[in-house]
Amino acid sequence: MSISRRNVLLGATASAALLPVAARAQTSEVVIGVIYPLSGASAQIGVDAQKAFETAAEIVNKNYDFDLPLARGEGLPGLGGAKVRLVFADHQADPQKGRAEAERLITQEKVCAIIGTYQSAVAVTVSQVCERYGIPFMSADNSSPSLHRRGLKFYFRASPHDEMYSKAMFDFFDAMKKKGTKIETLSLFHEDTIFGTDSGNAQTKLAAERGYKIVSDVKYRANSPSLSAEVQQLKAANADVLMPSSYTTDGILLVKTMGELGYKPPAIVAQDAGFSEKALYDAVGDKLEGVISRGTFSLDLAAKRPMVAKINDMFKEKSGKDLNDYSSRQFMALILMAEAINRAKSTDGEKIRDALAATDIPGEQTIMPWKRVKYDEMGQNNDADPVLLQYVGGKFVTIFPPQAAVAEAIWPMK
Amino acid sequence: MTAETIIQSLASGLLMGLLYGLIAVGLALIFGLMDVVNFAHGEFLMIAMYATFFLFAFFAIDPLLAAPLVAAALFVFGAAVYLLVVRFAVRAKANAGMVQIFSTFGLAIVMRGLAQYFFTPDYRSITHSWLGGKTISVAGIFLPVPQLFGALTAIAAFVALYFFINRTDFGRALEATREDAGAVALVGIDKNRVFALGWGLGAALVGLAGAIMAIFFYVYPDVGASFALIAYVTVALGGFGSVFGAFAGGIIVGLVEATTALILPPSLKSVGIYAVYLLVVFIRPRGLFGSL
Amino acid sequence: MDTAFAQRRRRDLIVAGIFAVIAALVPLFVKDVYVQNIMVLTLMYAALSQSWNILSGYCGQISLGHALYFGLGAYTTALLFTKFGVLPWFGMLGGGLISAAIAMALGYPCFRLRGHYFVIATIVIAETALLLFQNWDWAGAALGIDIPVRGDSWLKFQFVRSKLPYFYFALALACVAWLVTWWLEDSKWGYWWRAVKDNPDAAESLGVVVFNSKMGAAAVSAFLTAIGGGFYAQFVSYIDPESVMGFQFSLLMALPAVLGGIGTLWGPVLGAVILIPLTELTRSFIGGSGRGVDLIVYGTLIVLISLARPEGLVGLFSPRRKEAAR
Repeated sequence: MSISRRNVLLGATASAALLPVAARAQTSEVVIGVIYPLSGASAQIGVDAQKAFETAAEIVNKNYDFDLPLARGEGLPGLGGAKVRLVFADHQADPQKGRAEAERLITQEKVCAIIGTYQSAVAVTVSQVCERYGIPFMSADNSSPSLHRRGLKFYFRASPHDEMYSKAMFDFFDAMKKKGTKIETLSLFHEDTIFGTDSGNAQTKLAAERGYKIVSDVKYRANSPSLSAEVQQLKAANADVLMPSSYTTDGILLVKTMGELGYKPPAIVAQDAGFSEKALYDAVGDKLEGVISRGTFSLDLAAKRPMVAKINDMFKEKSGKDLNDYSSRQFMALILMAEAINRAKSTDGEKIRDALAATDIPGEQTIMPWKRVKYDEMGQNNDADPVLLQYVGGKFVTIFPPQAAVAEAIWPMK
Repeated sequence: MTAETIIQSLASGLLMGLLYGLIAVGLALIFGLMDVVNFAHGEFLMIAMYATFFLFAFFAIDPLLAAPLVAAALFVFGAAVYLLVVRFAVRAKANAGMVQIFSTFGLAIVMRGLAQYFFTPDYRSITHSWLGGKTISVAGIFLPVPQLFGALTAIAAFVALYFFINRTDFGRALEATREDAGAVALVGIDKNRVFALGWGLGAALVGLAGAIMAIFFYVYPDVGASFALIAYVTVALGGFGSVFGAFAGGIIVGLVEATTALILPPSLKSVGIYAVYLLVVFIRPRGLFGSL
Repeated sequence: MDTAFAQRRRRDLIVAGIFAVIAALVPLFVKDVYVQNIMVLTLMYAALSQSWNILSGYCGQISLGHALYFGLGAYTTALLFTKFGVLPWFGMLGGGLISAAIAMALGYPCFRLRGHYFVIATIVIAETALLLFQNWDWAGAALGIDIPVRGDSWLKFQFVRSKLPYFYFALALACVAWLVTWWLEDSKWGYWWRAVKDNPDAAESLGVVVFNSKMGAAAVSAFLTAIGGGFYAQFVSYIDPESVMGFQFSLLMALPAVLGGIGTLWGPVLGAVILIPLTELTRSFIGGSGRGVDLIVYGTLIVLISLARPEGLVGLFSPRRKEAAR
């Protein structure tokens, strides 16, 4: 029995255990934990996320002339100019590992807040840990609607969830129908993990409420080696709109298989995920002229808000890609969390939590096309308006809602 | 459900099945004939796909031309893996099977880690190739050209392997070495040399599969995992020790998968494959045509 | 008569007792939550691997689908609690019994498969179960089951911050698994299995007797594994099909035994103590870069250990140990 190993661990952690808890109150830095998949199938998401968070941290810590909270000036003025320091951890898409990392970040790294996690399953356990330790958790990019409904005090989500996204899609359908476009039948194509299941449920419910007929509901296994059988069913159903909820890998395979089997729906309206990733468009973009995806963020906002373009450039320098739906949400999550910590003038969990609950920031001060950032009693920001983007000529163009749109939707797809 | 849907599904299933067979043929040689477990089979496929991708990205070599190069590279790689790692696992007096499983499992993890380290986890695709994206339509049934080519290659590979095993000296040496390494040593056959070449050949076949797969499938460090299990089931279903068995196994797996997707929700289509495997081995404990 | 064998067995028991007592005292000195978490996981995997070892090591039926029983245990416990208010203690028991029954039902057709065919059968059966649960809406499907934790309670076996109760449960489970293995070594079943492993064809002539003992091994192994699964559900308070029935889990249950010494009494424990902290620490301290370095380290170590010591690391401590289990 390797007791010696236990001794080594004992020694290593003794120093951490000896740090006085009071040390948190007076720091020249604010430590924030970030938990993402940094290995495994979604590792690229985690790697990109790191760049998004680093961009945000840089803006907070240095002086930038943006109309964005904490951009001007260096660090957090409410804490004497304290700088933000990020600590990254890898959850490997496993809820148990995410929990272990959250505990480590809280008890050893002494983070005062945690942001995460991409996979909703991991957000379940990480948010539980944060609740138990009284540390605020900001769900940057988890879209499962059940997350904020679990009665957690320390859970906050600034961005929309799947029901809000799906509602935007159906609002769009209603608007197009009014203009005379034929949209009666829908095909749902969703993968079988939490994301796909939530999305499928939300869409099914809305379709029933708004009077659209679902002629095909294809649930498929994520990361399947082949999607021929599935696409075959979609093709046979021949709906007016194909609505995929797929990650990048499946998205690429879906589009390729559609091409192989000669299936071209009049329109594709995607639930983001893979359909907002550069890798997908690099692979099959030529087949996706006119594809529509729901989103949180649109790059053409830069026309009205120049800082969006500048921030995008900063991110692009680090990552080689434009800000997309995920990186933009991750970016904002850190800004908003830092803003609340600043307003709380403290790194105490309860105080930050109260500051978050009192947040009220107009949408113009963000990089998002949102109305406002204001959390309800469950921690959800209901004023985060989703947008619908269409992929035209290699770029994403906002087509809905009208107040954010820069162009008319092209329907059907070419 | 129209007749056209059913026929298309079966056609796609058949093509996919032959592709599974192509991926599995290397495994059929290593696992099936040499009786050496290789849990890194999926990662060999991944390496082959990356090699094809990079030959395309840096030298604009079409995957079809790259295929023989990749196969050759994988041959060397496979032989090296045997000599550096697997040879010791096979030699283990205790728990040889488990050691093979776990040493190759560890190898698989290392390969994935290295792939992530060097290539990043991002997804790569070959955008322009001679066969990529093309599809032919026969009486309304769509047959994607890359998969068609892969299917034909699979058939050719199996035929070649069959003759190789049963008609050449080396093939016979391979089988003999598996049966009794001590005995063959007396006849002057070096087990390690034979097995290294066998691994090289098996890896080369995977290389071929990877090169063709890269035409139409995305590449990333974990891409092998999706195909590995199907490859194992294919070989086991057909029966260890039988080249024809692996071939038949692939076709059956492809067709069963397609048929199951017609009846059950597609997210359960693999259940059909697993059920058929269990059914087959419960009735014939050595698979359909197995001799081991 | 005090044979060397009996002496060794007594010594094993005493050593185990000492280790158990020391282990029980450790959490009183090590308060760091993260380290305690690693210890709980280590004990859990020691218990799981020991249970796996009974069927695959001693009895020789290599299973790479034990995640099936783990998952069944986890789901039974979680479902009974969240849907019917049944306390986890009963839930774990229920999960254990269901798993034992299924193990025997599966063993009946599967045990006549040899070697690789059996292994693959275990893999596909576990995968099938995962797919079924992933698509079973009543059981939560992909959304999984979130076990609400309302406060510390021994009755509901849930604790808000403290890891100690979980630690002691895992320790107890590991001890039970170890004791069962220890007892089996000197039992009729143990003798049959050793005989069969030395001479597989003997199984044919021993026939029904050996078959029944295999069923017994499968049931015991599955029972203990399922209890581990139920424990896990309470420990993490959230489960979904991928996290409790995935193939990676099956491998991780076998790995400690293989590294430590399959078919030996101490192998799984030794393997767990080395492997689990290694896995956790490489992920936490090398994994944060996103470059995959932790995977490279972890994988390399598995390769080296499995090759350098095919009979397991247990062989380092006492070469004589091997003979008793063979």
